[in-house]
Amino acid sequence: MKLRGAAIVIETLIAHGVTDVFGYPGGAVLELYNELYSRSDRLRHILSCHEQGASHAADGYARATGRPGVVIATSGPGATNLVTGIATAYLDSSPLIAITGNVSSNLIGKDSFQEVDIAGITMPVTKHNYIVKRAEDIEDTLCEAFQIACSGRPGPVLVDITKDAQIAEVEFYGGSPKALFAVPETDLDAFEKASKLIDESEKPYIYCGGGVISSGAGKLLADFAERIDAPVGFSMMGLSAMDCDNPRKLGMTGMHGTYPAIKMNEEADLIIAVGVRFSDRATGDKDEYRKNTKIVHIDIDDAEINKNISCDVDIVGNISESLSALCKVVKKSSHAEWNALAENYKREAEAKFTGGFNPRSIIRAVQKFTGKNTIVATDVGQHQMWVAQYYRFSNPRTFLTSGGLGTMGFGMGAAIGASSANGAARTVLFTGDGSFHMNLNEFATAVRYKLPIVVIVMNNNVLGMVRQWQTLFYEKRYSQTVLDRVTDYVKLAEAFGGTGYKAANLEELQNALDGAFKSGGPVIIDCAIDRDEMVLPMIPAGGSYADAIYN
Amino acid sequence: MEIKNFTLSIIVTNKAGVLSRVIGLFSKRGYNIDTLYVGPKVEDSRHSRIIMTSSGDDATREQIIKQLRKIFDVQEVKLI
Ligand SMILES: Cc1ncc(C[n+]2csc(CCOP(=O)(O)OP(=O)(O)O)c2C)c(N)n1
Ligand SMILES: [Mg+2]
Repeated sequence: MKLRGAAIVIETLIAHGVTDVFGYPGGAVLELYNELYSRSDRLRHILSCHEQGASHAADGYARATGRPGVVIATSGPGATNLVTGIATAYLDSSPLIAITGNVSSNLIGKDSFQEVDIAGITMPVTKHNYIVKRAEDIEDTLCEAFQIACSGRPGPVLVDITKDAQIAEVEFYGGSPKALFAVPETDLDAFEKASKLIDESEKPYIYCGGGVISSGAGKLLADFAERIDAPVGFSMMGLSAMDCDNPRKLGMTGMHGTYPAIKMNEEADLIIAVGVRFSDRATGDKDEYRKNTKIVHIDIDDAEINKNISCDVDIVGNISESLSALCKVVKKSSHAEWNALAENYKREAEAKFTGGFNPRSIIRAVQKFTGKNTIVATDVGQHQMWVAQYYRFSNPRTFLTSGGLGTMGFGMGAAIGASSANGAARTVLFTGDGSFHMNLNEFATAVRYKLPIVVIVMNNNVLGMVRQWQTLFYEKRYSQTVLDRVTDYVKLAEAFGGTGYKAANLEELQNALDGAFKSGGPVIIDCAIDRDEMVLPMIPAGGSYADAIYN
Repeated sequence: MEIKNFTLSIIVTNKAGVLSRVIGLFSKRGYNIDTLYVGPKVEDSRHSRIIMTSSGDDATREQIIKQLRKIFDVQEVKLI
């Protein structure tokens, strides 16, 4: 069958099972949108307010579903508006396919209207990217783009297609997906070596990251923890890999980790790290982190081994397969005293909390309205860390947050992506007043598509996280972190066609949530909190676990 | 952490932009390029060969090789 290049793009997306795409039209993608028009019954397009919002939405869709998210933008400014979203997906290994139009091939390199070298710009933040100048190459390239985005360690791929390639008519072969690339075979000796360390360890600690979620290995990880009787700490990206009712779960580790996770991590004689990359935010001072412990590192990406932290044994390969193989060779053991220590730390941490209208009580109040399947997105700042610390996650892919890039503005887009994949189920966004102002235009998108998103603004009227550093390390010189904005979030929600509430205490919040969780469309709840609330514990940048500030 | 010189032979697919991918990796991750040669692979028009000398400690060298192997258009990386 002969089709125009633009039609081949859309048909190939449909052949890959894509049901929703996010994007924004423009001159260089007129052809794509024209072909989409006649296929809108088979492919839903969600029109954002800004390409950045669309890119985060596609990323959020991918994180929530495990299937690649697709974003479309025009050349020039449309394409550059995607860059933050692509980089966000790259740092968190999310399978994003970005499709951009470009000027016709005869105009390339002439500084033509709305021409940018988006492939050049995104080279450092994509797994791979393409410039396609011939219609004949579109089908294979797009199939390969999916293959690359989803194989091994997932990541974003950009496909830039010139306008003339979208117009030309060529043969279409069906666009069926190609098999994913094989993962390299795991070195079998590694299992022996790892199991020896694990069997000998008296204080084993499992450190679980986002790779466990990508690999669908949450259940295997819980079985493994059970077998070797070890507590489990998490990177922020890994938090939703394990049920919150599992007593082994210690919560997040690292700079703003929970007290039990930090302490157990610090005292372990063996860290079994699964699907993590030992980011500086997670380890603090690397020499100290490494000092009194052995490390087994399990990951799919060979380049992560010894990149940030050197390890004693590495197991490179598919994480699910590695964990089930390891489970078979390790001895069943018991570390009662070691686990009792974890319980002690948990009790100590619990005893510190006070009542009142504070970040923790707000998060716990929201959690009364949600279920284990509810998807929770955040923006970036103190509110994000509070959610990571206090929201009790249970199911993989329910926590969408920008970990590696720390992108303020991610949340609203991500919530839209998750919600559009999630039908009538409510999606919750915890955002900060600073972050929300970055992409709040997308609230209009949520209204337009009747997406039931409950936006909780943790409103401290400051750039709280930056201000916290100024409090602790810059003698309270609050340079440009006090917002003093007078935005009325209730009116804002209403102006966009949604619903807004204000909550200054738990009772008001309860009432607002009652309304919000009944509403069919998006809702904003403005929760006023104290600007001096801090995220604790905190390991100062570059410091070690022993330097953690607890009070 | 002793700094050593080493030479890499990198076989890449002959596609537009592949050299900038390789060079871009070095600038992005702060690795050194001391000398660089790019030419056709004998009797194989689909691939090119890059010969590069670089320097760094053992860990850096291992990282360079692994990161190069992750580039989609890189077919082979050898220490020579
Ligand atoms: C795009 C972007 N710009 C700047 C920063 C630096 N930054 C990190 S947290 C933060 C403050 C966030 O403020 P808010 O959203 O109100 O959250 P809060 O910390 O107050 O909860 C800033 C400015 C960032 N992470 N992302
Ligand atoms: Mg704030």
